[in-house]
Amino acid sequence: MKKILVVDDEESIRFLFKEELEEEGFMVELASNGKEALEKLPFVRPDLITLDIKMPVMDGIETLKKIRETERHLPIILCSAYGEYKHDFTTWASDAYVVKCADLTDLKATIRRLLGLVSS
Amino acid sequence: MPGPLNRYELLKTIVHLSNAFTEIEEKLHQMLLSVAEAFHGDRCLFLGPDEIEGDETLFRLARERKPFWGNEGSFAYIPVCDETSFYGLLQIGFAKKEEFSPEETDLLLLISKEMAGAIRNARLHLKSEQTLSELTALHEMGRAITSTLKLDDLLRLILETGLKILKAKGGVLRLEDKRTEGLKVKCNLGGHDQNPLDERIAKRVFFSQTLFALNHSSEGKPSLSILCAPLLSKGRSLGTLAFYEKDAVPSRFDERDSQLLLTMANQMSCAIENALTHHETSRTVLQNEKRVKQLSTLWELNKALLTTVHFERTLHRILTAITVGDGFGFNRAMLFLVDEKIHALKGKMAVGPDNPEEAGRIWNSLPRGRSVAELVTELQPSHPNNSLLNTLVKSMEIPLEGEDCILSRTVLEGRPFNIQHPRPKEGWLKSLCERGCRVGSEVGCCVGEQLGRNSKSYAFATVPLWGKGKMIGVILVDNLYNGNPITDEDVEFLSMFSTQAGLAIENALLYRNLEEGHRELKETETHMVQQEKMVALGELSANIAHEIKNPLVAIGGFARRLYRSIPEEGPEKRYALTIIEEVTRLEKVLNQVLTYTRNEEKDFKECNLRDILEQSLSMIPGGGDGEGIRIVRQFSGPLPKVNGDFRQLKEAFFNLITNACQAMQGEGVIFIRAFPASRNGSSYVRVEVEDSGTGIGPENLHNIFNPFFTTKESSLGLGLPIVHKIVTSHRGQIEVNNHPGQGVTFIVTLPAREEKSGEGR
Repeated sequence: MKKILVVDDEESIRFLFKEELEEEGFMVELASNGKEALEKLPFVRPDLITLDIKMPVMDGIETLKKIRETERHLPIILCSAYGEYKHDFTTWASDAYVVKCADLTDLKATIRRLLGLVSS
Repeated sequence: MPGPLNRYELLKTIVHLSNAFTEIEEKLHQMLLSVAEAFHGDRCLFLGPDEIEGDETLFRLARERKPFWGNEGSFAYIPVCDETSFYGLLQIGFAKKEEFSPEETDLLLLISKEMAGAIRNARLHLKSEQTLSELTALHEMGRAITSTLKLDDLLRLILETGLKILKAKGGVLRLEDKRTEGLKVKCNLGGHDQNPLDERIAKRVFFSQTLFALNHSSEGKPSLSILCAPLLSKGRSLGTLAFYEKDAVPSRFDERDSQLLLTMANQMSCAIENALTHHETSRTVLQNEKRVKQLSTLWELNKALLTTVHFERTLHRILTAITVGDGFGFNRAMLFLVDEKIHALKGKMAVGPDNPEEAGRIWNSLPRGRSVAELVTELQPSHPNNSLLNTLVKSMEIPLEGEDCILSRTVLEGRPFNIQHPRPKEGWLKSLCERGCRVGSEVGCCVGEQLGRNSKSYAFATVPLWGKGKMIGVILVDNLYNGNPITDEDVEFLSMFSTQAGLAIENALLYRNLEEGHRELKETETHMVQQEKMVALGELSANIAHEIKNPLVAIGGFARRLYRSIPEEGPEKRYALTIIEEVTRLEKVLNQVLTYTRNEEKDFKECNLRDILEQSLSMIPGGGDGEGIRIVRQFSGPLPKVNGDFRQLKEAFFNLITNACQAMQGEGVIFIRAFPASRNGSSYVRVEVEDSGTGIGPENLHNIFNPFFTTKESSLGLGLPIVHKIVTSHRGQIEVNNHPGQGVTFIVTLPAREEKSGEGR
């Protein structure tokens, strides 16, 4: 079973993502900011990370850079309410950029694509 | 010897003869006959002073004034004299020697006294008659010269009267010409002014201020008699008066003629000087009157020019002033201004009829009884002014370097030209065609062929327009229809006006620039205020939007979960669906707000608008061609490329087309046109999106580009503001042609890429 680490400061979002992705058959671990995510990373060893950008303590971009210092090939999806940064995601070495919206179809499809799973 | 009775008879006869009304010669002759008869003289003669002059004896006798018997009584000489004068000698010759008694001698002396008396009387009579005739003549001349002040008439009268008084056959009157400093023939009778001698004599007399007389006669040649006197006034020579050919035999002017002429000349000089002064004064008065009229016209026109600063109106007033009868009265006037950017003269405006019929019609329709200023102000340019002449002039562009072109020369040399008979090389209106002057290229350089009917006889004048210290243009005038000659004076007067006109034009130009500057400034200010508002609004909206977005994702996400978890169709399922739909709508709105407010970096690339339009159309549900909506594409073949952000432009046109679809409520035609355009020498691509909807209410028109303004229930009011933002950020323009009830056309112009190589070129 693939493990996904969801990093988001909004509790309701973390809750929604957990419910939705578990329903899709993934194991879901949560972190409320970048610092927490970095601490959890060695223990959780996820197959994919969804990373919010605007977060307290440590934001998504900084977190992404830190992760990439050790994990070069781990798929990371930037997942933000901001559409503005969409064009720059590759420069930060993330694998995808999804604008958060209530309809999670797009997010789920991206996760499956990055994990090499056949869409259901 | 005569007896006493005879003596008495003789004296009676002599006295009788002396008092008879006969000529003196006849009297003397009769007396001599009587004396010869009474004294039985062989011969009896009267010797005048001329006959005595050569003879020494007789001369002595004349001096002694005593009777003398010569040759022992064969002849006698009796002096004929009185107390003061000697008149001659009475000579009586006898066949044989005669002795004279003292009584006889006394008798002879008495007779000689009587003869002297007769001669003296005759002379006195002649002299008084002559004096009388001279006085009459002088009186006549006096009357003549006071009868007129007209110089030419006066001079003629003087010459005619002089001719009569002096009994001459010809006469020449010359006056000094102050301009050429020569003597000009002012009046001539008999054609002697052609004689080269005449001028020489006149000059001599004029400068020496003395009378000249010449009486010349030689065998076989016609005799020549000339009398020439200076006309002197206050010691200065005014001219000369010469008379030719005394009407007498022999033809000669005597001393008396000279004196008479001098008297006449003196009298005339005064009259001539008066007439000259009068003539000069009248001329000055006339000139002054004309000047005053010109100045008042200029003043009037200036007044008319001062009442406007509107550029077009100023030009029209100037040209009208030049063409109305009370102004300058030229048939046509054309105005060209210097365009410093392209270093050429550009035709700006022309006033004047296109043909003689129109000229007549305009003339007849002019309101009467108006001052020139009122007329110039009242006559408005027809809108649009599309007379042939105006169109032609406006299309003219003349490089400011052609030495052959009179228009450019007027500007380059800064002086007026008055061209009566243009020659091909010099003084021709020429427009060189290298710079794309349409007129020039069509007629092989001779603009004049278009302006006038016949280039050979086309007469015109040009005056430069001065601004402040520099040449700003040129005015061309002609009298094509009435063919009135253009005088140098006309051109001078026009030049005076053109100075004012130049300043008025410059003022109008400055005012126009000022107005434009002011407008631009205002626009910029409005734009900046708008920008600032947008920035503030953008920041605020972006912050709010982000704060709302995350909760919305959760709400929408869980609503979906709820929806999925409710198995049965029922009210709960519908509740959940409503939440999902409303959240979707809210998310859309937030996205629009964020699109409008964010300062997205643009990805400028070479774009083909045709591709952009096609892609925009493909994004419309059903390709735009819905059931009732038809889309008509009208793309001109090759479109210049533009520099732009493909995605943004696509969004802009998508919005415009969507807007058009919505405006038509499901039925109508949308025209989408794209074609190249040019403005101020730059090339653009023009895209028009025309719908056949209801149009925009005039009260809403000024709000359509304002964010959040909408008339639709389900619209946030950001569609057109986004289009506006994208178009202006591409240095383009968007305009609206609104026809309420019929539809709207949105016109987007985008600058073409700088490179000349457009599509298909």
